[in-house]
Amino acid sequence: MTYRTASIIAYIAFFAVVLALPLVLNSFWTNRVAIYLVYSICAIGISMSWGYAGILSLGQGLFFGMGAYMLAMSLTLAVPENNPVPQLMLLNMEPNAVRDLCCVTTGSFLWIPFRSIAVGMIAGIVVPCILAAGIGYVMFKRRTTGVYVSIITLAFALIGQLLIINNQPLTGGFNGLADLALLEIGGFEFDPYGPSAYYAVALTLIAVILLARYMLTGRIGQVLKAIREDEARARYLGYDVENFKVFIFCVSAGVAGLAGMLFTITSEFATPSLMATSLSISMVIWAATGGRASLLGACVGALIVNFVGSLASESATFQPVWPIILGLLFVFVVLFMPNGIAGIFKAFIERSGRTERLGEARPSGKTERADKSERVQTELTAREA
Amino acid sequence: MNAVHRPSKAETVSAVPILRTQKLTVRFDEFPAVRDVDLSIADGELRVIIGANGAGKSTLLDLLCGKTLPSEGEIWLRDRNITGIGEAAIARSGVGRKFQTPTVFKDMTVLENLQVASNRRVRVFQNLFDRVKSGPNDKEVAVAERTGLLGSLKRKASELSHGQLQWLELAMVLSQDPKIILLDEPAAGMTAAETDKTAELLLDLAGSHTVLVIEHDMAFVRRICKTITVMHQGAVLAEGTAEEIEGNPAVIEAYLGSATLSHA
Ligand SMILES: Nc1ncnc2c1ncn2[C@@H]1O[C@H](COP(=O)(O)OP(=O)(O)O)[C@@H](O)[C@H]1O
Ligand SMILES: [Mg+2]
Repeated sequence: MTYRTASIIAYIAFFAVVLALPLVLNSFWTNRVAIYLVYSICAIGISMSWGYAGILSLGQGLFFGMGAYMLAMSLTLAVPENNPVPQLMLLNMEPNAVRDLCCVTTGSFLWIPFRSIAVGMIAGIVVPCILAAGIGYVMFKRRTTGVYVSIITLAFALIGQLLIINNQPLTGGFNGLADLALLEIGGFEFDPYGPSAYYAVALTLIAVILLARYMLTGRIGQVLKAIREDEARARYLGYDVENFKVFIFCVSAGVAGLAGMLFTITSEFATPSLMATSLSISMVIWAATGGRASLLGACVGALIVNFVGSLASESATFQPVWPIILGLLFVFVVLFMPNGIAGIFKAFIERSGRTERLGEARPSGKTERADKSERVQTELTAREA
Repeated sequence: MNAVHRPSKAETVSAVPILRTQKLTVRFDEFPAVRDVDLSIADGELRVIIGANGAGKSTLLDLLCGKTLPSEGEIWLRDRNITGIGEAAIARSGVGRKFQTPTVFKDMTVLENLQVASNRRVRVFQNLFDRVKSGPNDKEVAVAERTGLLGSLKRKASELSHGQLQWLELAMVLSQDPKIILLDEPAAGMTAAETDKTAELLLDLAGSHTVLVIEHDMAFVRRICKTITVMHQGAVLAEGTAEEIEGNPAVIEAYLGSATLSHA
């Protein structure tokens, strides 16, 4: 079995398992796994920028949080009691301010477009993309690379988190937005504990994987890989490296934003903790564990780490040390499994492929190889002569 | 400083120059690594630059390909001023650069390296929906054949020998279809047989391509080249045929006097 065949089988098996899970899970676990699948989408975003283009963003939570907030704003306004003005704004209203979204608190007009769910859903992807394009453009035009990119993105996520916490009348501050309606599209309601929200996440995940794979196995993936390998060389071949980096950074932010929206649907809240450094770093750990240069690996990494993490959180012994275990896991993976679970899978397939060939098909395999090298040899001598 | 000697060069510059520099100068903290270089390369010419270590040869190529910004002076490619337009734009306008230590994409196969190099649709959105062929196209086969890499297309670049890496980088530069090729010591670190093959390759390129080569080895230079430019302490010291250069007192004093000439 070639690695290519094996990975196609792995993808199909993964999709099948993901689609079948709600049949065997109770509503609590349906919701849990849906959230883990949301995290898988985050890990795909990391894999795209870090694994394929070498851009290690430690601020992915910023885009994730933005996606979550954009949809949460729309879902806040969809609650009847929050019409025309959300409760959280009334609490902070000046005594004689107009009770309207235009001017109830400073900046409340920013909420107006979110009366439409569609706007919230589009903004959840587009706004993170635009922000990432801006940050990326400034960073990459200035040829910021490596650890500086990580630091800058980390700083932006911190700024985002602070802005949300400090603008309580507008954003709900520390508590975030938790009084949300269920998402309803065309009369169909997405129940976070039922199969509907689960399948919204699962199908989005599958679509994201397929699109990302289509893109990254194509020409642009090859160019990004080249840029990751040697940025300067790519420039001397005529590629505007910064444009490619801005592009993939932007796509990765859009994927994170999409994941953020799905998080709001499955968790029914958006808080500033979504932009916390710890979550951004966790996303990197998920991708690293599964294999950063493999979309499926990153997905599986997110699922495994979160599943084990949730088991740990239920045990009184493990719960307090889980962050330490997670940290050690990251160190271990970086040092000893640079390609993560996907790397082990690949090595395994390639080794078993070799044994298979040696064991079963030795005579024909060998002559074939000998023939080929002989042919090449003759070709070479002919050319030299 | 010695006066610049310019022996007759009737033999070389007849056509309109494809590459021209005007008073090209770069200083690193006041230290002029390249100064007042006026270079004129004719279309189809194979030009060699020689000079002692630290003479500024590599830095001159860095200036030509945009890696380093000049402090003063201009670079013209045909009728286009390419000074300061950025590495990628310079590459697209037709300048291909091969570095002294081979720089290729190590984790990719030889074929992938060639595909990235020969892809002339370099914008993001031109690449978005473009698929990559699993096998080489005619152009890639031709360039791999020319550089002796046809049997190694499926190998990872990291598995190649040093000499093969040099050829791979050369093959990548050729795949760019450049108007002028800048080669920095293409035979460095090669075995005698590999050097021979490189010399043949360069001679084969001359005529169909404009090539600017930096080289140390005078025997090699004499084999491949008609016009030699000698650099010394950042400036052009002399320019002419191998005989003219070897008979030039200033050159002998500054550079050729010692080992290189005697064993050449
Ligand atoms: N980026 C740089 N910063 C400072 N000095 C440099 C830089 N690049 C080259 N130099 C100096 O310029 C001189 C010419 O170097 P180089 O062009 O590499 O010489 P060559 O290739 O002829 O051996 C050397 O003295 C080198 O130390
Ligand atoms: Mg040099």
